[in-house]
Amino acid sequence: MKRKWLSLMLALAMVTSLLSGCGGGNSESGGTGEQSPDAAPSSTVQNTIFNGELEQNITIRVLENDTVIAKGYFAELIDAFNEAYADYGIVAVDANMDQYLDLANDGPYGYGPDVLYQANDIIMQYAEGKHVYPLPIEQLECYDQIPQSAWDAYAATIEGTEYYCGVPVNIQAPMLYYRKDLLPENWESEWDQDGDGVPDMTQRWSDLLAFSQARHEGDKNLYGYMKSLDDVYFSSGFLFSYGAYIFGNNNRDTEDIGFAAGEAEKGAWVLSQLASAMNEDCIDSTITTNAYSRMADGTYFATITTPDVYSTFIDELTKTYMGEGLDQAAAEEKAVENLVMTGLPKLPESGDLSDESAGLIDSKAMGGINGYAISAYTQYPNACLAFVEFATGYDMIMKRSEMLGIAPARADAAQAAGETSQQLFDRLEQGNIIIMPSVKAVGQIWTPGQTFFIDLAKDVFRPESEKKYTDLSAMKQGLEEMSQQIYDAIHTLN
Amino acid sequence: MEKWNGFCEAAKNSSWKVKLSAVVMGGGQLLYGCWQKGLVYLLVELSVLYYFITRGISDLVGFFTLGTQKADPWTGTAGDNSVVMLLMGIFAWIVIAVFLCIYVSNLKDAYAIERRVKAGEQPISFKAELAQLLDRKFYITALALPVLGVCVFHILPIVFMILIAFTNYGGSIVPPELVDWVGFQNFAQLTTLSRFAPTFFRILGWNVVWAVLSTGLNYFAGLGLALLLNKDCVRGKAFWRLFPILAYAIPGFITLLGFKFMFSYGGPINQIIRDLGGTAIGFLDLDAKWSARLIGLFVNCWISVPSIMLLATGHLSNRDMTIYESARIDGANRWHQFKSLTLPYMIFTTTPVILSQFVGNFNNFGIFYFLRGGLYMDNYFLASDTDLLINWLYNLSIDNNYYSIGAAISLVIFLITSTISLAVYVRSAAFREEDTFQ
Amino acid sequence: MKQNRKAGRVVDSVITHIVLIVVCFIFFFPCLWLILASFSKSGSIYSFRGFFPTEFSLDTFKKLFTDTTMYNYPKWFLNTLVIALGSCVLGSFLTVLTAYTMSRFDFKSRKTMMKTTMILGMFPSFMGMTAVYLLMTQFGLINRLWGLILIYSAGAPMGYLTQKGYFDTIPKAIDEAAKVDGATNFQIFRKINLPLSKPMLVYTALTSFAWPWSDFILPKLLLKEKDLYTVAVGLMSLDETEFARFAAGSVFIAVPIVVLYFSLVKNMISGMSVGAVKG
Repeated sequence: MKRKWLSLMLALAMVTSLLSGCGGGNSESGGTGEQSPDAAPSSTVQNTIFNGELEQNITIRVLENDTVIAKGYFAELIDAFNEAYADYGIVAVDANMDQYLDLANDGPYGYGPDVLYQANDIIMQYAEGKHVYPLPIEQLECYDQIPQSAWDAYAATIEGTEYYCGVPVNIQAPMLYYRKDLLPENWESEWDQDGDGVPDMTQRWSDLLAFSQARHEGDKNLYGYMKSLDDVYFSSGFLFSYGAYIFGNNNRDTEDIGFAAGEAEKGAWVLSQLASAMNEDCIDSTITTNAYSRMADGTYFATITTPDVYSTFIDELTKTYMGEGLDQAAAEEKAVENLVMTGLPKLPESGDLSDESAGLIDSKAMGGINGYAISAYTQYPNACLAFVEFATGYDMIMKRSEMLGIAPARADAAQAAGETSQQLFDRLEQGNIIIMPSVKAVGQIWTPGQTFFIDLAKDVFRPESEKKYTDLSAMKQGLEEMSQQIYDAIHTLN
Repeated sequence: MEKWNGFCEAAKNSSWKVKLSAVVMGGGQLLYGCWQKGLVYLLVELSVLYYFITRGISDLVGFFTLGTQKADPWTGTAGDNSVVMLLMGIFAWIVIAVFLCIYVSNLKDAYAIERRVKAGEQPISFKAELAQLLDRKFYITALALPVLGVCVFHILPIVFMILIAFTNYGGSIVPPELVDWVGFQNFAQLTTLSRFAPTFFRILGWNVVWAVLSTGLNYFAGLGLALLLNKDCVRGKAFWRLFPILAYAIPGFITLLGFKFMFSYGGPINQIIRDLGGTAIGFLDLDAKWSARLIGLFVNCWISVPSIMLLATGHLSNRDMTIYESARIDGANRWHQFKSLTLPYMIFTTTPVILSQFVGNFNNFGIFYFLRGGLYMDNYFLASDTDLLINWLYNLSIDNNYYSIGAAISLVIFLITSTISLAVYVRSAAFREEDTFQ
Repeated sequence: MKQNRKAGRVVDSVITHIVLIVVCFIFFFPCLWLILASFSKSGSIYSFRGFFPTEFSLDTFKKLFTDTTMYNYPKWFLNTLVIALGSCVLGSFLTVLTAYTMSRFDFKSRKTMMKTTMILGMFPSFMGMTAVYLLMTQFGLINRLWGLILIYSAGAPMGYLTQKGYFDTIPKAIDEAAKVDGATNFQIFRKINLPLSKPMLVYTALTSFAWPWSDFILPKLLLKEKDLYTVAVGLMSLDETEFARFAAGSVFIAVPIVVLYFSLVKNMISGMSVGAVKG
């Protein structure tokens, strides 16, 4: 997840704090066809806008995110589309704008893109203000392939009718990254209790913690699992696993802030335990930035982040291997082999990471679904729709997955793309991915959350006499205060 | 009162030709033979009328109603954009104001011409008028453009912001939704929220302390540096000055980021500490109230001193060194010379700068936003213990998009800072006795 | 007696130089760090040991100027240069004019104007940004470099107080002498006051030139296309992992400003005491 950490702009302020990847939802791939969403009797609006007559000899501007452009996928997409639609004279070009541009501010005056790729929460906030068009999704080729849970991320009820304002492309949710070649030599005998050929420390958080401690003890400069706690997007997953939620009533009731709900304090405790095996870098955003190079040079064994930065990890690791004498191609191959991206380990029911015998529960995580939307200020809606359909077609999605390592939202592509994508689908299906709410209020959860997690992390390193979070009830209280702050931030000036 | 009497007299004594100017601008001038001036005034009237017919009237109406038709991008219905209407309405008012000035000058001018003619003289020729504009009335020529620029690009936004404080713009009420006037509702909301008061006063206290300390520190450090570099024993002054200039040339936000990184847990300073065997120190940490404040002071000083040094050097070089000679002959040592000669001189010439530095530091958003943004402390309402009022304003309003409340708070902050500054400025020597330092 | 005085002077000189070295080091150090970081081989800021990078290479600078697919630094640099030059010339001109007028002429609305401009500068400018943006959309000046030049120059006269303070210290006696000789006000301005105020002109020119290089709020608002970005906005849009490039870009910003400084530095010291008002 790339977060812009500086923005003074009124508009940008909203966007920065909200950006997180949102991946495509997924259900069972193939097999039982899923039901079509409650097709709202709202097709008239969409059909009026998208009347099927392709505008000719025009240019549409497409805004994608920077990684996509940097890796060259965008160029390929544009070229393929332009070739396919050469007869109509429709040309797609790079909008050449900031990927975090605020459509609500700039669109009305004509300075926004025609098609944009963004996270679901941002697109749906635009939908609230009617800045993006409702789409006739049943007409799209990908309609059947994308599961309901993914489409739901783009559903909005406006003036009583339900509309779908975006097309899912990929799922974004935290994944565990680890270095296979940093496993201990004897891991198959020492670290594989259930004998399933998969190292335990990647399957259970308690084992990962034990391994981290062992690694650090062996060499003071090395660490195991490292992640900045101040990153609310990742840290809140631990809370969710134990019963917390963001907003009540399926993320629509902002009066009900659920960060302290259920047994969320156990999640906080897990975080605290994990932090005890780290160093002070986990208190601020140090690790978020240096994870790439530290994973590459072996200081860290594992971290969690989103799939879209997979290529960055590979690049850094390739550099390391090249430094060891391999040539580019061999280094890259080795990097791909040794940098493993997999699902999150399981948590103990009791929240006690030292308890080996505890029953296991799944880790939940905050995630989202990225997709395409069409600006309501475009003059060429039909051409845009054609572009969106083209870009979400099987071929282009497969290529996107190949070049960028994303997890597609289309069932067929997800299955073909490999195990990781499949895993993400399953997680979404099982409800282990909590999709970011699409209400404006979500912008208020970051700072109070960040303050709490920083405090929690700092507490691990405070001297005994000054520790605040000494037991579960203290953590619960901290969580409740954080929820209160979020509530205040949202509702005081309303 | 006097002016009004003068006006009535003029109205009574003037002929119909002048009264014509009231309707057709430039009419009086034309009739008296000053056709160039007359033409100019006429052109002005015509262009303003044109503006009002094509745009101005609708803008003015929109100013009061703030839009009646809501736009719907989905169905393609065009609607009113309330904020734009507000803005262009203010613009229309400015045009009216400027027009009135020209109108009045037109009348006065016609009357003056008439008086000259009645007294038997020829009206002033156009060329002579132009020459006057370059001489006696040079200030009009010189100031016309700057005043216009300031009006449009500074007064307009400020008035806009003040007026926003009286609307309900913000949150979910943003275009294409229609915005409405709500009078003093926002201010009422501010005063009734009990949680605001303690945070507000605490932040205000820190803000004032910060502004005073940082301004003083920057000023004296800059002055000291300038004096140091001014000494005779220092050779190659341009070389020494290069370093602060280099620091000045690199943009502020970049150095702020650099400093933030420097003091972070993974940063160089902590790395060195760790290598030496200690534990990392959280300089800008959650708990680190005083070290964060000190670091803020120091970094701010680092950023601001070069420009003050430049300013001071310029002023210092303008001193009349003879008085220093005579002081030395009288036996005053360097410290005395500084205290009684240099310091008063510098303060006199740079009072406005000190004041603007004070205000700038009071409203210095960047320093704590970049160094330590994103923390809400326990006994503060949506703020941290190093936040200034402007940071708090940002957290409250811009983060949430509560523009109207933000505008209301800005207004309050502004009232405080301006009263202080105005009081100081008006009493300062620089304002009262501008000529007497010679 | 003379020995003591000489010794005293030497000690004084030594102390002065020591202090100078320390101060200059403090100012130089972060810049040095940035410069070294820009020569770092690895892009990441955390791969440094202590303050300094582990490996050096010129790659970053080369990439900065050649790799323009994502980050078109040369274009940004040129844009900013144009804006800076434009606003420097126009803005300084307007500022000096305003300052001189306010200093030398006494007209009715003068004190009011001084108080007003002072107050106007104190507004926290958040909402103002929205207003400026909307205004520019109405004038059609978004995505145009001229829009920025216009705003910077229009805003420059607000800072006239500094220059005015300088003009105030130039004795009116000179003006009066010239008037006796028959010069118009404009001539006095051009031939007498302007040359005498060179240090302040340098200051004004430097500050108005330097400001567009570091301002990123206004350009972010008014320039929507990546090719039109200024350097400040462009650098902000860089990814976190590209710190070396960020450092290289920032270091390069310093170059034109330092160049300008050196070309103007001779004018910093102009002597009033060159006998203009002897006796």
